[in-house]
Amino acid sequence: MELALIGVSHKTAPVEVRERLAFSSDKIRAALATLLERTHAAEAMILSTCNRVEIVAQGPDAQLVQDFICEYHQIPAEAISKHVYSYKNAEAIRHLFRVTASLDSMMLGEPQILGQVKEAYRLASEAGTIGSSLSPLLDRAFAVAKRVRSETGISQSAVSISYAAVELARKIFGDLAGKTVMIIGASKMGELAAKHLKRNGVGSVLVTNRTFERAVEIAKIFEGAAVPFEHFTDHMEHADIVISSTGAPHFIITKSLAEQVIRNRRNKPVFFIDIAVPRDVDPLVNDIDNAFVYDIDDLQQVIDANMRERMKEAGRAEEIVDREVQAFCTRMQSREVAPTIVLLRETVDRVRREEIERYRKLLRDMPAEQQQATLAAIDQVTQSLMNKILHHPITQMKEMNSDPNGSEFVETVRKIFNIKLP
Amino acid sequence: MHVQLLKLALGLYSVGLLHSVLTVLRKKQTLFKPAVVATLIGFACHVASIIARVYEQRTFPLSQPYESFSFFAALAVLASLIVYWRYKITSLGVFAFPAIFVMTFVAILQAYNAQDSVPELLRSRWIYIHTPLIILGYVAFFVAFSAAVLYLVQERELKRKRVFNRLPSLEICDDLAYRSLALGFPLMTLGILSGALYAQQVSLSWMSDPKTLLAFLTWLIYLLLIHYRLIAGWRGKKAAYLAIAGFVGVLVTFSFSGGFHANFHP
Repeated sequence: MELALIGVSHKTAPVEVRERLAFSSDKIRAALATLLERTHAAEAMILSTCNRVEIVAQGPDAQLVQDFICEYHQIPAEAISKHVYSYKNAEAIRHLFRVTASLDSMMLGEPQILGQVKEAYRLASEAGTIGSSLSPLLDRAFAVAKRVRSETGISQSAVSISYAAVELARKIFGDLAGKTVMIIGASKMGELAAKHLKRNGVGSVLVTNRTFERAVEIAKIFEGAAVPFEHFTDHMEHADIVISSTGAPHFIITKSLAEQVIRNRRNKPVFFIDIAVPRDVDPLVNDIDNAFVYDIDDLQQVIDANMRERMKEAGRAEEIVDREVQAFCTRMQSREVAPTIVLLRETVDRVRREEIERYRKLLRDMPAEQQQATLAAIDQVTQSLMNKILHHPITQMKEMNSDPNGSEFVETVRKIFNIKLP
Repeated sequence: MHVQLLKLALGLYSVGLLHSVLTVLRKKQTLFKPAVVATLIGFACHVASIIARVYEQRTFPLSQPYESFSFFAALAVLASLIVYWRYKITSLGVFAFPAIFVMTFVAILQAYNAQDSVPELLRSRWIYIHTPLIILGYVAFFVAFSAAVLYLVQERELKRKRVFNRLPSLEICDDLAYRSLALGFPLMTLGILSGALYAQQVSLSWMSDPKTLLAFLTWLIYLLLIHYRLIAGWRGKKAAYLAIAGFVGVLVTFSFSGGFHANFHP
């Protein structure tokens, strides 16, 4: 039995190809049923996200799977052949582990993929196409993803503007509970940053905008208070975090204003997040004690550095995946090897006994005593012959147990001796 | 016996020293957990050593430099463990472990000069008030100093937009510095007062003693710091600089031996 993984991803196919191959989740059940029928697979799962479409199946013909994909989406085979990758056994397991652990993601270490694989698994379970092969494999893939997440820093540091803002705020304030954030200007990015801060414990939100109605609208989202733009400087001393994103052509937070604010706050620190271009906060504000100014480039710099950190951690994650693939293959094969060895012995022994039985008839005329002795001798000789012949194949099978290609080897042995596992 | 136990403690504290050296060299925390465990066991040995000395002397051992240093080191370990337990600031260990090691090491060096008899001048109950108060104050100031240094490092990193460290947040550093200051200052005040009262009692002219003067100057720095924090709302960088200045004062005072502290004062 062979495990196969066939698919396309953002690494091999442009979005024009990926979108044509996507399976919508409401049609996956039906698609799985057709898939099993067409490809003779025993089990299968379809993972379809915006960055990848992959089919994991137990025992199919890889070419038939590819044909199925083309047929299902009504695309000529040539259109996708150069984008499709196809892995077998250990390589398929490794790929699945890497995908689930977000090592193959466009945004390295992003957490969504694990949920997407779980969803794909759920759909396949409901369709009844998950069995004794894919079930332990997927369970292990989830465990590996968890391990990678907790043992490496691959998903740790922030790689988006709004998370970077939260991370920085934590470096200054520690706990964000009870802190106040002021949003100046109504931009999507400012709103998003405020949303993340709020989710991470920030207490109250103040909103100001040139159009007061818009400020009221945003304030409503955060259960905060709207402040008229003309007076926002009067309220600024209450804000621990200021997110500014107005369209103003000049600095709206000058050094003297910031100094005044810090003084009124009795030197309690203020974190200015300036995501406006042109900038809203005078960079000189950063020179004031207890004022910290991060503009969009600074935040991007933090993200870039975090990204490099993730790349470094990815190396360690790959090592974990390597070890896990090895361990999983060993476990799966040992499930096959032991019964194969038993059946191999039984098969050969059966041939031996049948032959002895045939021979007994030929010795009919011999005196009973002599016949007994001859048969005993034959029995001994054939037994020792059988043991000698089988010795090497069996030790080899036991050794191949920990080899990623061991499964194929054991399969070959079964083919040669015509052994069928129950 | 007590010296052997202290040497054992020193050996265990050396794991912490190794942690600090490796962490600074590699810029990545190394061996932290083993260091904490070793320090815990070392602390047990340390306490056992002090108890052994109590049995030997039949009185609480504080009359000689060896004993004061050992006591000082033990309190520093205790304070570090408490701060670690309360604040979970692992980076503070970089300061605490070497300081503990050095103090214990000095105590062992001093042990060879230790006499078994208590000097005449120190056979007084005052010594059990004066010395522990001063030492407790110093330990608190050491914590404040470490927190202040961490604050300055983290503040500089944030201003330079480099934030890839595991240092605690500014607010936690500032809070820890302030709390230990608020604890250390009254202790030191009472310590100096008790010393003065005792000197008065045995009619020593403490006003002209250089070590006492240094202690008084250090006390003034901390008074200034408390004043600015409370009245002018100083915090962060300025307060951190002053806390460091104060601790430099502590070190100068502590290592100065002369005047009538010469023979018995740590």
